[in-house]
Amino acid sequence: MIKKIALIAILLTTTTGIAQHYKTYDWQKKPKLHKLSSDEKEASSVAIFKKVIVEYHADEVASEPRLYETKHTIIRVNDDNGIAQHNTVYIPMYDVKQLISVKARTISPSGKVVLLNEENIKDVSNVEEYGDFKIFAIEGAEINSEIEVLYTVERAFEIYGSETIQANYKIKEAQFLFITGKLMSNVKAYRTIETFEPVNIEGNKAQLLTIKDIPAMVEEEYATPKANNIAVVYQCFLPDQNITQNMFWTNVSNNVGRQFFPEEVVAQAKEDADKIVEGYTDLSTYKKAALVDIFVKSNYTVVKNNNQELSDLNYILTNRSASDYGIMKVYAQYLTALDVEFEIVITANRFLTKFDPEFFVPGMLRDFLIYIPSERKYIAPDRFEARIGEAPFNILGNYGLFISSDFKHYFSKIIQEDPDYSKIRRDMNISFKNDFESVTIEQDQDYFGHWAETSRAVLNLSTEQGLIEYKDYLTGSGIEDKAIISYETFNTDMNQLEYNVPFQVKTTISSEVLLEDAGDSYIFQIGMVIGTQSELYQETERINPIEMIYPNRYNYEIIVNIPEGYTVEGLESLVIDKRYIASNGKETAKFESNYKLDDDKIIITIEEFYKTHEFDLNKYEEFREVINAASDFNKAAILFKAAD
Amino acid sequence: MPKYFFFFLLVPFLCWSQDFSDKDYIYLKRHQHITIKLINDKFDIVQNVTEQGKFISSKKLYFANESIGYSSFSEIKDIEAYTYLPASDKKINVDYIETKQEFDNMVFYSDDEFKSFIFPAVTQGAETYLSYKRIIKEPQFLGGFNFAIHVPTKSAQLSVEFPKHVEIGYVEFNTESINLDFKKEETETSTIYTWSANNTEGFQLEDDSEAPMYYLPHILLYIKNYESNGKIINVSNDLSDLYKWYVSLLDQVDTNDLAKVHEITDEITSALNTKEEKAKAIFEWVQNNINYIAFGDGYGGFIPAGAAATCETRYGDCKAMSNLLYEMLNHVGIEAYRTWIGSRSKPYSYYEVPTTSVDNHMITTAIIENDTIFLDATDSYVPFGMPSAFIQTKEALVGIDKDNFEIIKVPAQKAKQSVTNITTKMHLENGTLKVSEKRSLQGYDKVEFVSDYTYKKESKTEEEYLNTTLALGNNKTKYTNINKTHFDNKATPLILEYDLIIDSYTRNIGDKIYINLNIDRSLSNSDVETEGRKFSKKIDYKFERHFTTNFEIPEGYQASYVPDALVFEDPNYGFKINYEQNGNVITQTKTIYVKTLSIELKDFDNWNQFIKSLQKAYKKSIILEQI
Repeated sequence: MIKKIALIAILLTTTTGIAQHYKTYDWQKKPKLHKLSSDEKEASSVAIFKKVIVEYHADEVASEPRLYETKHTIIRVNDDNGIAQHNTVYIPMYDVKQLISVKARTISPSGKVVLLNEENIKDVSNVEEYGDFKIFAIEGAEINSEIEVLYTVERAFEIYGSETIQANYKIKEAQFLFITGKLMSNVKAYRTIETFEPVNIEGNKAQLLTIKDIPAMVEEEYATPKANNIAVVYQCFLPDQNITQNMFWTNVSNNVGRQFFPEEVVAQAKEDADKIVEGYTDLSTYKKAALVDIFVKSNYTVVKNNNQELSDLNYILTNRSASDYGIMKVYAQYLTALDVEFEIVITANRFLTKFDPEFFVPGMLRDFLIYIPSERKYIAPDRFEARIGEAPFNILGNYGLFISSDFKHYFSKIIQEDPDYSKIRRDMNISFKNDFESVTIEQDQDYFGHWAETSRAVLNLSTEQGLIEYKDYLTGSGIEDKAIISYETFNTDMNQLEYNVPFQVKTTISSEVLLEDAGDSYIFQIGMVIGTQSELYQETERINPIEMIYPNRYNYEIIVNIPEGYTVEGLESLVIDKRYIASNGKETAKFESNYKLDDDKIIITIEEFYKTHEFDLNKYEEFREVINAASDFNKAAILFKAAD
Repeated sequence: MPKYFFFFLLVPFLCWSQDFSDKDYIYLKRHQHITIKLINDKFDIVQNVTEQGKFISSKKLYFANESIGYSSFSEIKDIEAYTYLPASDKKINVDYIETKQEFDNMVFYSDDEFKSFIFPAVTQGAETYLSYKRIIKEPQFLGGFNFAIHVPTKSAQLSVEFPKHVEIGYVEFNTESINLDFKKEETETSTIYTWSANNTEGFQLEDDSEAPMYYLPHILLYIKNYESNGKIINVSNDLSDLYKWYVSLLDQVDTNDLAKVHEITDEITSALNTKEEKAKAIFEWVQNNINYIAFGDGYGGFIPAGAAATCETRYGDCKAMSNLLYEMLNHVGIEAYRTWIGSRSKPYSYYEVPTTSVDNHMITTAIIENDTIFLDATDSYVPFGMPSAFIQTKEALVGIDKDNFEIIKVPAQKAKQSVTNITTKMHLENGTLKVSEKRSLQGYDKVEFVSDYTYKKESKTEEEYLNTTLALGNNKTKYTNINKTHFDNKATPLILEYDLIIDSYTRNIGDKIYINLNIDRSLSNSDVETEGRKFSKKIDYKFERHFTTNFEIPEGYQASYVPDALVFEDPNYGFKINYEQNGNVITQTKTIYVKTLSIELKDFDNWNQFIKSLQKAYKKSIILEQI
């Protein structure tokens, strides 16, 4: 959407007339299978070669340069999974003027070459928000064959673009060739030490990035692998034109600002605004913003389709439907009507894109937030399960472009004001029945911040199966024979006017399997009562930087009532102390559990916290120890012995 | 400790009380009226759909998203849609409708499309109105109607109006769960059937349950025949009409250029003597060399691709693979037939419903030495001789020749065919449990392992994959020396061997060591939550698992306690655990079996009893004491 409004191109005449490179670029006439190392043979698939050519060609006649994009891949498939991953090809036709050429072939292990029959290329139109595609299945693919695909499209002229180079399979050699001739341009590669080399392609100025042996991107926990791929961004300007990054950003903030900050509040919005605050007096800024958020989420639907009117304010106010862009105008109208100062934030989901304030590409500007500076709180207009509060977790830590009502802009990292926003307080009281036949656990829990938001969303919107699973989670997961005796939830309404109201749950459960009869004594698997804890693995070198979902904290107090006539042993397994000290010397994560004996009670306390969501990759082992401490506690067991 | 829950937008399948006033969204009305006309022996069939929804709360405004799907065998016309706001007595029309093409990972290419739009201005109290016509181009696809769907319906109605010289067939399914009213009316020229039900509850999917159509009250309709010039012309009168239609589609299969297919067939079978060996070689060749890619393209959704094309492109859907097997097997003189079948997700029988609703799959049936063998090459790992697991118990429509067919039931495969034997050696070394284990997997246990390993391992290391799937010991278990042999689609058992180091597994309390020999806790999480449960539990296949574990008592210790034998026996499922001590070795033998494909609602308590007994048995530890 942003690219439609961000820039109004200035048109100028052009001069050059050298032939386009895609016309001469071709695959090997006689293909041969490539040699792989033994490790490469073990993988499902390996890209032998991947080349992307982006070619801007100044046109003598047309005012805009022509833009061609060529993609060439050779991929070895070593097993069924490799074949399944690569034997279907989808060419996106969004903004494509014409498909200039497409060919594909397979080279079998015996050297037989099967060419794609072009008649088998199919059209798929209007797929969700992705537009049209040309699709085909690779012919002749078999285990240990190589699949080669080469195609060129002419795209509608765009000043900017981006390309992801890395993939979830190894790439032995990747090239990105950026041909711009006399046109001014910028290009930047992320997350590689290789740099662009200037080259001359048939008389045209170009830049070439070559990267060898790009490892497969791996899924890791506490990571954002999709956003961490090696990627390239580029800009190419009209002839004799040069635009600084600041000019781009200023242009965006002016255009967006002009559209969102209303000169006047329209009548319908005024009427709605009056309704929103009807019956309230002396409302704080926070409450006004909360009421607006609740009203919009109870009356509007955010829609993804091609209806242009979904960005038109009057249409939106009548139809109560808007695009993710259009809904911002509604918020702006209501907040302005209620004298709430706000800023517009344009940013990106950090799990998909790392926002770069130093290089403008519209592809990074995907998510909109509203920021209330006086409260330092955010509204996420297109997340209907979210309400005003700290930054949404999928945005947290990314940079954002903040635009104020005078259309001025600044960049800021999107942070969480209160590190203890998301916390769980949990009190447990544990007793034993009928001479250790079963254990009864009473729990009283408060969930704050994102925990509360998620809990409310699940309870209000989930399926019945989802509700069963969530109930299992809230009452202590992993206790196989658990019987839920009572279960009560409080503050479940998604619409809350106060900041960080906890969601509460009170439960009583009983279990027999937590107890084990050991001759004259009983083993109690006390560690299990905190629910299943997963162990964080790392058998190969950690690749992705550590990013948690959000900072969080846990404070537990567990009281175990020792039955009369019994003594207890094995309490030392309850003592765990793991800490993460950041490079600035601050303790930013901790798991600490301890106990004290108080007559016939064992009082166990657990404190675990993560004050930030980002941790130093060099200190991964320390981080892992804190995370895994909970799973160590999970294994704690104590022994009740009849007193002599 | 961090364990995050993400909120995903799922289509809620909630079940609500009768007046539905505490609910978020309901249908006030869902009516479908079909008019069938016959003009010059040509059918003119129109389905008129009218729906009225109501937002009781404003929580789930996403119900404003509407889509109407259709294939190339139908057409959608005259869509009228609007939102009515009773509070302000306003009507706001839907003014924007998009046509989109279906696109998902299951089917690579489909020409199915859908009309997509949003009801405007929905909020608490809003009502939505929708009416449209679906033109049905083929009389074979009259379809059906669900009286209960994912949200409650106040008034659900199906009616069909047809000329008196046309005969309509219909079958009711699961309608005993609702109060269904049937009415037959006659006009001068036509007959009208009307079925109505009020206040049908919303149904929701449950974990591991049978497919919803086994439970949802619905009706399937079909045109049996019509009279023309004093003659009765059959459309879908009985199964032979469906078969005739299928044969007419098979007649369109491209049978040209089979030389290459025959050449390959000869090449892989020439050195083999028996028909069974040849059939096996052909089946495995297709499994190994043809990649499954699904297409749904008008009549292409019913007509198999030619064998030559499938062989050349090396890909195809179930029909293409079935047809290729048919050509190859017949070429070497093996009696083989193209066969239609429904997967276990389809609850219908050909005898009950003579329409395409019954099936969704094609396989090949071969007769070798009087044995009937069902060959489904879309399952790349199922061994020759076993059907794919998802067609067990289903009726196969075996196409013998132009006029003859047979219905043969695919047998459920016995538990003995999917046996896993696990032999384990354990000892303690400085408080750490060291294990070497060998698993031998057969039948569907092997198929499942090979298939999951191939497609689900992704970027995980082999160690991590085994750790998360087998879940042996505790979450600190380390795998080394992993070795697997016969990782293929053959009947030979897959052998999986590895060594384990399990830290913090034994408990040393006081001067005693407590050690639990159940590092494998198969089925311990399989109990069914019975509260509110409506549907029976589906089991993919019958199996047996035999464990033999030898634990070596460390020097200087003796066993002060060895658990007693434990057993749970039911004809359909059960287990048996025994402990025995010989010198310094304690041997645990454990057998677990499941010999049914479904646990009925009434048997849940017994099943849960089985799981609970197993959980308790898994808890039993050996106690070692210093001598």
